[in-house]
Amino acid sequence: MSKSRALYAATGVALLSSLAVACGSGGGGSGKAGAKAFDPKDYQGGTLTVLNHRDQGHFDPARQYTSGGGKIPTLVFRTLTTRDHTTGGPAGAKPVPDLATDTGTPSDGAKTWTYHLKPGLKYEDGTPIKAQDVKYGIERSFAPELPGGAPYLRDWLIGGESYQGPYQGKELDSIQVPDDRTIVFHLRKPEGDFPYLATATQFAPVPRAKDTGVNYEKHPISSGPYKVVSNDQGKTIVLDRNPYWSKRVDDQRLAGPDKIVVQSGLDQSVINQRLAASTGADSRAITTDTDIDASVLAKLNGPQGLAKRVATGYFGETWYLAFNTKVKPFDNQKVREAISYAVDRQSVINAIGGTAVAKPATTFLPDQKAFGYTPYDYFPGGTAGDPAKAKQALAEAGYPNGITITLDHTTTAGTGSGPEAATAVQEALKKAGITVRLHASEENDYAEKTQKPATEPGLFLQSWGADWPSGGPFLAPVFDGRQILKDGGNFNASQLNDPKVNAEIDAINQITDPAAAAARWGKLDADLGKRALTVPLYHPIYKRLFGKDVTNTYVSQWNGLYDLSRISVK
Amino acid sequence: MLRFLLRRSVSTLLVLLVLSAVVFLLFYATPGDPAILACGKGCDGERLAVVRHKLGTDLPLWQQYWHFLQGLVAGRDYDAGTDVTHCAAPCFGYSFQTDQPVLGMITSRLPVDVSLTLGAMVIWLVVGVGTGVLSALRRGGITERLLTGLTLAGMSTPVFLIGLLLMMLCCSWLGWLPFPQYVPFGDDPAAWASNLVLPWLSLALITAAAYARMTRSSMLETLAEDHIRTGRAYGLSERRVVTGHALRGALTPVITLLAIDVGGMLGGATLTESVFGFDGLGRLLVDSVNHIDLPVVVGVTLFAAFFIVLANAVADVLYAVADPRVALA
Repeated sequence: MSKSRALYAATGVALLSSLAVACGSGGGGSGKAGAKAFDPKDYQGGTLTVLNHRDQGHFDPARQYTSGGGKIPTLVFRTLTTRDHTTGGPAGAKPVPDLATDTGTPSDGAKTWTYHLKPGLKYEDGTPIKAQDVKYGIERSFAPELPGGAPYLRDWLIGGESYQGPYQGKELDSIQVPDDRTIVFHLRKPEGDFPYLATATQFAPVPRAKDTGVNYEKHPISSGPYKVVSNDQGKTIVLDRNPYWSKRVDDQRLAGPDKIVVQSGLDQSVINQRLAASTGADSRAITTDTDIDASVLAKLNGPQGLAKRVATGYFGETWYLAFNTKVKPFDNQKVREAISYAVDRQSVINAIGGTAVAKPATTFLPDQKAFGYTPYDYFPGGTAGDPAKAKQALAEAGYPNGITITLDHTTTAGTGSGPEAATAVQEALKKAGITVRLHASEENDYAEKTQKPATEPGLFLQSWGADWPSGGPFLAPVFDGRQILKDGGNFNASQLNDPKVNAEIDAINQITDPAAAAARWGKLDADLGKRALTVPLYHPIYKRLFGKDVTNTYVSQWNGLYDLSRISVK
Repeated sequence: MLRFLLRRSVSTLLVLLVLSAVVFLLFYATPGDPAILACGKGCDGERLAVVRHKLGTDLPLWQQYWHFLQGLVAGRDYDAGTDVTHCAAPCFGYSFQTDQPVLGMITSRLPVDVSLTLGAMVIWLVVGVGTGVLSALRRGGITERLLTGLTLAGMSTPVFLIGLLLMMLCCSWLGWLPFPQYVPFGDDPAAWASNLVLPWLSLALITAAAYARMTRSSMLETLAEDHIRTGRAYGLSERRVVTGHALRGALTPVITLLAIDVGGMLGGATLTESVFGFDGLGRLLVDSVNHIDLPVVVGVTLFAAFFIVLANAVADVLYAVADPRVALA
């Protein structure tokens, strides 16, 4: 709802706010360059403001999804491993040690992972961080009182499927703590990606004595450079320095600002207006969730130099047309091929905001090395679609006179699954003799319907985003036949259950060398592509403004956002 | 007066009871499972069932409603994991998605809407009624046409447009005011006011027009009535006629309108809150509907309805004050 409101508000005032941009930047802020040359590595001070549209949700490490939204959790919760914060290039997509001394030692064919904590680690109250606390933090995430985390821990750890958390007095025996600084994980099957999973907030230590259940999020105990001063239900969060943290015990975070204030619930056009004007405290502000809108785009190369204040990032995500191969006529590969040929990717991209915010996709894996990206385009339609080839495939499928199908989409305007994108697909397919009836549902209803095999429509718009930059979490939930979830939460929309594919997924999961695994994931994606189980449409691009006194902004390759732990304010 | 209050209280309780039942029923007719949303992506059958049980949405509808009513009268216990918290009566339950007590979520946002509404009300009454009276007195003149045009423009401009324009002008270009951000009155009254000026103006500008037009027509009607003519015949000054007699009679419909507006806005001014990023009841309601958060939806709806009923009761009392022909019964 808020999205559509923001959209019409944005179109209504696009012209006017671009005027504001033109006049606003001359207003000057209170920020001033220091006398000394500015070096983010040793510069400390100031207050960084984060202006966001969506709120932070539950600020409890047990309840965040993987590494949590908006790059703020990493400021408070240190985890066994973390993504490489020190660089914005492709190397940033690698896991590196954080609380642990290394990214983990596999044994028993990657079914057992052992970690040792660095010496001298302390919480915000000065008490030492122990391996037992990491175990307890993970155990909490199994409690039904604290839902929200990703399913990996429940699926991977032995006994995880039935464990109900520590509040009923039980421990999870597959996590062992032989001493205060050693923790050992026993997994059901080999998982070479465990170092990636260990970046999730569930791997942050939680001292049992300080646990207050659902109320823990009001003041989670910090292990990172900042501690929580106040948290108003994830809407306004104020962070201050943690006196027991120092760069001596953390080589990943710079923690420049003395204070960080997160304000959310703001209108998206107002966020852009404020960052463009960049006056007062807003000159030291950023956003981690609002892309630039038409008004900023129009002024980007103007005299006020907004182009220099835009960070461009790529999040590993693919928007695609999902086929349910259990529904006719999508059980017929030739029909799926015909639709693949006919799709006009450029018109879909135009429908969701243009080339500034998306690039066409022909592979299911995102086009980044870390995922194992292997280029292919088996049913080339160019960017605009190939109706002739589509008609030919349709005739081969036994429908020489065209066909009528239904496409499901959401009612949320401006998104990849919204009515605009659906209409763009409808128009392109019409040229190939495929008549598309549109069927819209409200977002929650849509998610429930499409993620349950019994109610899943034959053709619908869908997206899959990376839980971490590796091929495994990208391909397995979508193509592994054993991950067809009958009760809901299913993302294997094609309902493919091919023993060969399942076996290959298991084989790659045993590989502990990311580069070797990436190559195999890429090959698997290219093989799956030949079966036309999805029609990849586009990968999103993030473009976000930052205030004029914010420095050292670079974008993480892990999730396309700039890294708050390295930013400084002048 | 006592009978009036008693009767009103009983009917208010009945209205709220029926309303809460209707919201429960409607909630079940709408699609979406709050447990799926709370549980997160990739939540499978068994885990989902446990979470659903935790929320209590696995119970039949009538039982959920019964628990809700019990909580209102006797309070409820809530399991926070590490310990059990008691939510004292009247307990509106706990949010499915934020795990906060609903009453606390509402009362923490109420000051936003009270500040927004009362401040804006002062502005729109002064502007609206003033314009209306002036237009009535200068009927057919240039003043009237100008005022009518201006108020019409205000009425037909959406609040988010006025809000964005005002922010651009006052915050971006001129830098007179900060970009609004709600500051509680108790923290800093000056900051409270300076941050609220723009939301007040936006809300007042779109509302004032209706008051101007209502006051004008009602004023013209009253000016044509017998007692005004009699007053003039007795030689009362025009000023006494207008302010002492005509205005008083003309205010009755304005009071009705005011009761509806104030009652409605106290329950949330969603668009204004959104444009300025204020966390009020309107935003809370929209968010909780989007997040299938039944306890919060019921709580906010009941509060909003209560304000409307209350405002109407106040209006009835004010009628009697403004117009001696009306009596409270």
